[in-house]
Amino acid sequence: MIEVDELTKVYRVPKKTPGLWGSLRAVFRRRYDEVRAVDGVSFRIDAGERVGFLGPNGAGKTTTLKMLAGLLVPTSGNVKVAGFVPSERRAAYLSRITLVMGQKQQLLWDLPPTETFELNRAVFGIDRATFRKTLDELVGLLEIGSLLDRPVRNLSLGERMKCELAAALLHRPEVLFLDEPTIGLDVTMQAVVRRFIARWNEQTGATVLLTSHYMADIAALCARVVVVSQGRVSYDGALDELVRRYAPDRRVIVQSTREPTAEELQEAAPFRLREGALEALVPSREVKDVVDRALRTLPVRDLTIEEPRLEDVIARLFEDSVAPVEREAKEPSA
Amino acid sequence: MTSVGRAARAFPSMLRIGVAEMVAYRSELVIWFLTASLPIVMLLVWDRVSEGVTIGGYDQAAFARYFTCTLIVRHLSTSWVVWELNESIRTGRMSAALLRPMSPLVFHAAENLAAFPFRLIVLVPLVALIAWWRPEMGVGIRATEVPLFVVSLGLAWFLNFATQVAFGALAFVWQQSLGLFQVYFGVFAIFSGYLVPVRLMPDAVAGVLEVLPFRAMLGTPVELAAGRLVGVDALGAVGLQLGWCVVAFGVSRFAWRRGVRRYEAFGA
Repeated sequence: MIEVDELTKVYRVPKKTPGLWGSLRAVFRRRYDEVRAVDGVSFRIDAGERVGFLGPNGAGKTTTLKMLAGLLVPTSGNVKVAGFVPSERRAAYLSRITLVMGQKQQLLWDLPPTETFELNRAVFGIDRATFRKTLDELVGLLEIGSLLDRPVRNLSLGERMKCELAAALLHRPEVLFLDEPTIGLDVTMQAVVRRFIARWNEQTGATVLLTSHYMADIAALCARVVVVSQGRVSYDGALDELVRRYAPDRRVIVQSTREPTAEELQEAAPFRLREGALEALVPSREVKDVVDRALRTLPVRDLTIEEPRLEDVIARLFEDSVAPVEREAKEPSA
Repeated sequence: MTSVGRAARAFPSMLRIGVAEMVAYRSELVIWFLTASLPIVMLLVWDRVSEGVTIGGYDQAAFARYFTCTLIVRHLSTSWVVWELNESIRTGRMSAALLRPMSPLVFHAAENLAAFPFRLIVLVPLVALIAWWRPEMGVGIRATEVPLFVVSLGLAWFLNFATQVAFGALAFVWQQSLGLFQVYFGVFAIFSGYLVPVRLMPDAVAGVLEVLPFRAMLGTPVELAAGRLVGVDALGAVGLQLGWCVVAFGVSRFAWRRGVRRYEAFGA
């Protein structure tokens, strides 16, 4: 469904030295820097897949999504989405996709959401019966029935995002590009939006490419992730595999009935006392042995084994900016 | 369905939404519309200057009629799309519009046209006031020329809209093109008949101005409404307007298409 080959985008950014002299000089002689926002990104996504697109700020995620949506023209490389070249901006293509940007909205600010829905109905040429059916479905899934007649400016951020999603999906796009759809939302609303995206994908079979800084979004929605760093793909594969490679350790935490002696601690190694509990970072294959030893030698009241936090895994991956490209073999979509 | 067909089908809904937007911004709009009332200032100036004399065939009544027509035509043929484009390109708000399978300009056109009824709210009292003050100005246009005036008014609106689109599209490259547009507007104000009737200019200058696009944007429908452009001359002037519309359509379409390819979708 999505084929991206060596996609590159170079921006020309005006350069100005600070101060009055710098401003005056910029009037007569503009200088530019070239910024490679996206630098040879390649990946394939099959129809119906939900893929997380991850990377630190400035990694090129949003720029890539904008090129996939036909908003930006690539400097070089090839892109095909649903058989179309996005930068040609054909009406038939724009009718098949949507791009939801958490920080930008399409809703008409001073009018109720219904007016934007009606505008989209007219622009996308949706017949009234289909429009009514899809809108009813979206209103039910997103629970926005009570918001439809209130001016957008009077809605909370979470309410606005739900209405944004409804506006973006009225034409039942085959491909959803979601750029930080839960940004700024509280935990409850994030969960609502996540549930909605999952259900919509399951019901309609739409392909989803999602960026988010909230790892809970990725963990809940995406079995596969593409990680970009400094404009290049640094990982493309299963989320589980990413966790295994970049955070192979488990955290074993023991609450003890009393403070263990030095001998007990030595025998139970590698446990250390931390914030009133005993902790050990253990490679997953050694967890059983370490737990056995702890139960045998330490005065255990409670024992827990924690998975690594996804945030930590991703942070480690981002730090490793020169990581080699690791791609799982993926067959191009038919 | 072709893109023109789809736009035509969507247009009534867009007009209705445009009207809803006008209602939401009504108080701001009335003030905005009043700023397009410079012809009243010009009327007061020329009324004073022509007291007891005739200048280039214009006496006080003729000036009153001319600038009343200027006021009406300016209100009904103006556009604000250049401001909208600058704002939405600079802030990245254009992204949402460009994701729809129809040019954002169709919606902007609908928004501009939806303002007409609201413009009348400002226009009717102002015209009534001038008519009460200078009843001798009368009505210039003959009934048979009203259809030609309506056509001319429509062409003037399109010419203004397309010109603003061309200037607005420059914001795709420069992020701001309002400064340049203000320069253009200064030239337009002098050469279109907005501040002074074109025929009051020296003959050589007036001859040139009559074929430039500025008169087609304002002066032609004004002179038709004031009864100063009739018969074959009127048809020729409207034909020239049509020609300039074709040119403006081509230029604005080229600028828009090139601009969209340069769009950098800031702010998200």
